[in-house]
Amino acid sequence: MRRSTRRDSKQYVVGRKDPRGDSVRPTGAYRRYQLETCLAPEIVPFPNRTRVKVSKPGLGLHLLKELIQHRRNPKVAVSRPCIYGVFSGPLGGFAPRDCMCVGCLRCTTEHPEMVRVYHNPERQHLGDSYFTPDIVETIYYEARTGRIPVRGAGYRGPFGGEGWDGMWTDMSEIVRPTRDGIHGREVISTAVDLGQKPPFLIFNDEGGLVDATPRTLTVPIPVLFDAPPASLLSDQLVKILALAAQQAETFLILPVCALKRFALGGPHIIPLVGMDDRDALGQLRGRPPMIELDGWNEALVQAIRMCLPDTSICLRYDFLLKEELLKHLRSGIRVFHLVANYHGMGRDGQFVLDLIREVHKFFVESRCRDEVTLLGSGGIIAAEHVAKAIICGLDAVALDTALLAALQTGFSGECADRETSHFRLPKRLTVDWGVRRVTNLVASWRDQLLEVLGAMGLREVRRLRGEMGRAMFQKDLEREAFSGIEGYGR
Amino acid sequence: MADRVTSVEQLIAEKHSRLLHQGFHLWPGLKLGKPPALGDYRWTADLILSTWVQAETGQPPANGLEYRVGNSGGGFDVLDFKYLPRDRWLSDSAAITLSIPLNCRPYDRRIEIPVPFYGGGMSYGSISEQVMLSRARASQAWKTFTSTGEGGYPASLLPYKNYVITQVATGMFGVREETIQYAPIVELKYAQGAKPGLGGHLLGDKVTTTVATMRESLPWVSLFSPFPFHSVYSVEDHKKHVDWIKTINPEALISVKISTPTDIDMVAVGSYYAGAQIIHIDGGYGGTGAAPEIAKKTIAMPIEFAIPRVHRYLLQEGIRHEVVIMASGGIRTADDIAKAVALGADGAVLGTTELVALGCTRCGNCERGRGCPFGLTTTDPELSRLVESDWGAERLSNLNRSFQLQLCEILRRLGLSSIRDLVGRTDLLVYRGQAGAV
Repeated sequence: MRRSTRRDSKQYVVGRKDPRGDSVRPTGAYRRYQLETCLAPEIVPFPNRTRVKVSKPGLGLHLLKELIQHRRNPKVAVSRPCIYGVFSGPLGGFAPRDCMCVGCLRCTTEHPEMVRVYHNPERQHLGDSYFTPDIVETIYYEARTGRIPVRGAGYRGPFGGEGWDGMWTDMSEIVRPTRDGIHGREVISTAVDLGQKPPFLIFNDEGGLVDATPRTLTVPIPVLFDAPPASLLSDQLVKILALAAQQAETFLILPVCALKRFALGGPHIIPLVGMDDRDALGQLRGRPPMIELDGWNEALVQAIRMCLPDTSICLRYDFLLKEELLKHLRSGIRVFHLVANYHGMGRDGQFVLDLIREVHKFFVESRCRDEVTLLGSGGIIAAEHVAKAIICGLDAVALDTALLAALQTGFSGECADRETSHFRLPKRLTVDWGVRRVTNLVASWRDQLLEVLGAMGLREVRRLRGEMGRAMFQKDLEREAFSGIEGYGR
Repeated sequence: MADRVTSVEQLIAEKHSRLLHQGFHLWPGLKLGKPPALGDYRWTADLILSTWVQAETGQPPANGLEYRVGNSGGGFDVLDFKYLPRDRWLSDSAAITLSIPLNCRPYDRRIEIPVPFYGGGMSYGSISEQVMLSRARASQAWKTFTSTGEGGYPASLLPYKNYVITQVATGMFGVREETIQYAPIVELKYAQGAKPGLGGHLLGDKVTTTVATMRESLPWVSLFSPFPFHSVYSVEDHKKHVDWIKTINPEALISVKISTPTDIDMVAVGSYYAGAQIIHIDGGYGGTGAAPEIAKKTIAMPIEFAIPRVHRYLLQEGIRHEVVIMASGGIRTADDIAKAVALGADGAVLGTTELVALGCTRCGNCERGRGCPFGLTTTDPELSRLVESDWGAERLSNLNRSFQLQLCEILRRLGLSSIRDLVGRTDLLVYRGQAGAV
């Protein structure tokens, strides 16, 4: 198995606990963030993009003609049109090997009457209407290799569209960091801080700092793992996500009941406490760095503050009313996890992109944006969505279905609703394979985030948050470009 | 023995080349239907097949293939022309000119091209020498231009040097004094649409000994063309680059190739003040070489939005008449060229269209293994033999002829006798998309 180590930008970790252990780094020390990737091929057969069909009588006749025509050069007679080996099996074109086909269409171009290349209909069963087969395929590639998907011949998708597809990010013609450095030599930080950040420092009469230490957790990537659906909670899946979170030095959000059931704990896990978890604090092992509440519970908040004063509290909301946000802000909550459904739709039918923008703007207008942390999940299923979500106002994203797709989880029908969606984990799932797949995915997405940051000339992802001036929306651009054109806006 | 091996290889290449040519002819005939897996939103099967027809016949297809727009649901695909009633069209015999000047400044040499388009930069290494030669020969025949891209200047291009633009990009690969001196136009590439802000990357597999020699690098070692120019951080720095070029070749016109950021208008103005004659805007949806998918789809705006922004801003600044705007990055058809001009460009730069004319199916495997299975974007000696430069030049000439016919027809129906009269005429466009929305 080929192993590669990717070198990443330096991450400064100042006086905080290392999520991988309990050691405390000396103030000012730094190390280069590295996420090790290694090849993790699919364990469930994955339908190839194309199918090749060859007319057997036609091929027989063709071969006969070729052998006669090139009787002095049998090598010429049997030379095949495919350079990828589709016809290089023991039976040649009589049993084409679909799995080798890359869809170049050279065979069908050379032999229009004999060879046909079709889109594989089985591929259409991957994912659902939101998590399209193309996105599933991309995630498989990223989870398999840990690499950035690269293809030639330009963009081939729709011009724009609703939601994420109607948004482009900026680039800069002349500023650094340079691309030859962003994956190694030059520093681009993808670290973000989670937790409450005081707007200013308070000093006592003696000039000493009063409660000056911000309760922030620094994660080297703006990506957390959200709780998997309850129907999928299993020892294996939970271990995969927990180990991958540990390896990536990020956090896994997990229902508190699962922590007890699977005997899990540690600094890389954020317990998710439901409204009905009456004995939640009693079930915790150790002192979690953050606790996420699945709804407002005044008594529980007070209890956490009393028993776990160093623990940040995060409130999980499905994009509720702004007035409620303000109320909880006044109650001292500084971390909000905005949750849309798996298709990115909020409770009132708005798409997650618009919801993030609204909440971010609300906090900006309330003059407290820098004091709060906004996490978001739901509908973030591609590397580009991470960058776009952060530009719209999130500090970090929490991944959900993307992680499941990386593990080759099957989707049964439409999987939009968090409670009722039907997923199927592969039967041959192993912890080692799963950890590699998830780690690869995160590594690939981080590298793609570096590409976006590098193109924009930004050296840290913190500066990307809410940078709406560096985003371009189709509606705005169309209005500007086409507004004088007849038929536009009618 | 060596001769025999060579001849067998040659025979194999000839066999497949002949079969491919037959396929390029047969498929667009539609007697066998359309290849089921061909095409995508931007380049539909119809567009690809109709480009093959045009490259073969020099005419647009007459069998119902849609040769004007794709199916992307936006940009050029939702724009159409507001043609005059038939009785107000110009007559068939009316003289219509498609020529555009490439220097509108009061100084430096005058260069005019008879068609409002030329070939974009595709480097030696990213495409084969045969493809480069095909493009150069077609450019000579049409008295227009092709660009070297950033990969050096093969000696075989020298006979066509009056029609070859030398590109100077961030890696400076193959840039020498003589290659700048050859060129009537020197293109400074700041960014490219398919990978804006990300530079270039030629995978090690494609860096053959010849490519490495040309680029003065090591064989089989990946080459990064860094981003950005490490010596340019301002308009003044950019001016310094222009001055370097002018010192080496005072006769050369300067083209500046830029991508499409939010401040594209300011970048264009800066390029103008630094002395560029041509501002070449490259939108994100084009590109012939390999690029990260995230960059192609996500970074920088499509060309359809960038052109009017730059055109209007230069008008406001009072300098539009002194600079030539060339647009590229997603321009596929003669209709796209005309729409780009109506949005504010002077002309267009073609890349992918030329490769499709030479047989590209847009499979996207340019960087996989040995490179393009059709012998276009490859340096593999066997695969490169699939494209013969005379055949390629003929195909490109035919495509140009078809585009010329279509552009003249568009102008005739709009009642215009010159492509220059179409520049910025958005009043001649109609929006066919969904009510002013995405």
